Amino acid sequence: MKESNVVHIQAPVTVVGDIHGQFFDLIEIFEIGGNIPDTNYLFLGKERRERLMIPESHADFAISVGDYVDRGLFSVETISLLTCLKLRYPSRVHLIRGNHESRGVTQSYGFYTECSRKYGNASVWHYFTDMFDFLTLSVVINDQIFCVHGGLSPSIHSIDQIKIIDRFREIPHEGPMADLVWSDPDAERDEFSLSPRGAGYTFGAQVVKKFLEVNSMNHILRAHQLCQEGYQVLYDDRLSTVWSAPNYCYRCGNLASVLEVSDKGERFFNVFDAAPENESFKEHQAKSQGTEGVVTDYFL
Amino acid sequence: MDEGRTFKQHGFTITTRKLPILKAGPIEEMTSKLGIAPPEMIFGDNVARIEYPDKNWSIEFNAFDALDRVDKKGTELKVAYSKEWHQSRQNHSDDIKEVVKPFDWSYSTDYKGTVSGAPAFEPTETSIPLELLKRPDPILFFDELILYEDELADNGITMLSCKVRIMPARLLLLCRFFMRLDDVLFRIRDTRVFVEFGTCEVTREYLAREEKYEAVKHKLMMQGETGPEAMRDPNRLANLLPIVDGSLEKLVLK
Repeated sequence: MKESNVVHIQAPVTVVGDIHGQFFDLIEIFEIGGNIPDTNYLFLGKERRERLMIPESHADFAISVGDYVDRGLFSVETISLLTCLKLRYPSRVHLIRGNHESRGVTQSYGFYTECSRKYGNASVWHYFTDMFDFLTLSVVINDQIFCVHGGLSPSIHSIDQIKIIDRFREIPHEGPMADLVWSDPDAERDEFSLSPRGAGYTFGAQVVKKFLEVNSMNHILRAHQLCQEGYQVLYDDRLSTVWSAPNYCYRCGNLASVLEVSDKGERFFNVFDAAPENESFKEHQAKSQGTEGVVTDYFL
Repeated sequence: MDEGRTFKQHGFTITTRKLPILKAGPIEEMTSKLGIAPPEMIFGDNVARIEYPDKNWSIEFNAFDALDRVDKKGTELKVAYSKEWHQSRQNHSDDIKEVVKPFDWSYSTDYKGTVSGAPAFEPTETSIPLELLKRPDPILFFDELILYEDELADNGITMLSCKVRIMPARLLLLCRFFMRLDDVLFRIRDTRVFVEFGTCEVTREYLAREEKYEAVKHKLMMQGETGPEAMRDPNRLANLLPIVDGSLEKLVLK
């Protein structure tokens, strides 16, 4: 709650993108990226999955860039683990709010249903979504790398304009707070454009350049968009997307990555595939339901 | 590339291929060929195909051809809070007026498959024999795959998928487009291809269903369904959506 809307940290740090309740894969992240508190983490939202490791030696930060919940089978486990880590290591783990950390979206995309199914009522969902209102909106690494879940907003030119947003609320449909968690880059444009959906913006190369100049930074790091390779770098290396949910929705077959930022600010994408536990869990479920290898789908 | 699974029955060859979503390179290529941005999850290498090699005839379902039938000029559809969003924007003095090349971002398609070879489908009155398909005949081959999917920036879902099942004497392929735009609209567009192996008859049925979101919600409530699960299940929803378009065609491969 005391955290600013813009948290400043120093590398080394590992940055994590969308997880979306893929808990087994989150555990995998801690295996490849190092255990907390040895590694500092930054989560960019929508976590679907995660893996916890035992503290080892040197200490970095971890940031997650939002979207911790929805769509995966283990949103409850994922957000519970991340919340515990944040409470245990408040200055080493940072959780940025994603567009899925909201009451509205979690009702349609699985977190609400999962909470009701696992607990028999919606109170756990209420507690977590209340907590989401406190998550920070952005992190700046080494005064150089701006981390946010979605992207830029036409109402925000300077970082200081983010600091004055009243973030302790449900994510609104419009305005700077909505843009930060929703907007997407569009490599074919220079400026801001309206989305064909009738709400929301896309931002182009010039917008990114200008924002970095005004704020004396050199890179924007965001999540929010699925990439088959696990990450995507745009605009002459001025912006990257990091995606941390491999085999998204258990059917996309995509890779995932976490971004490791060294103390000097060098960026390295650590790419990984879906954790084997996903498959064994599926087999175990099929066995316990007696549906193993049987085709009975008489669809019409 | 992986050729996928094939199954041969009575001179027909059925193929299904399921691969990961496309990488950035192929997505760019597809974007320039289509002229519109493809959906978030694009299974561009997936295919479901029914071939009759003796006649050089085939029908297949793939993502590119389906997306090529999406309206590339625009759509009337807007997200539920669009009006509110635009009104609040007017208070700001920004000058962003350009809409990125408008196109049907719901990716609604009336795709009925890609046919090659002769003969062509002709209109028919004889519908697909549901009674024969309801019989518990053994299923010799079953597969399902997705061609594309998009979460409409978390305003619902749009998905094009295929299912196929082969029984000893016949087969059924269902290609289903399902769209839910939250608080706005539901669409289900089904293409069914039915093959009776004995007579070499191929029947193709297309049915488009559509209903306003509120009306569907009301109908579900009348049936005692209040949870969000039913809103995601096209099987549960199909009968609640009135038919707005359709066609029935047939051809014989002998």
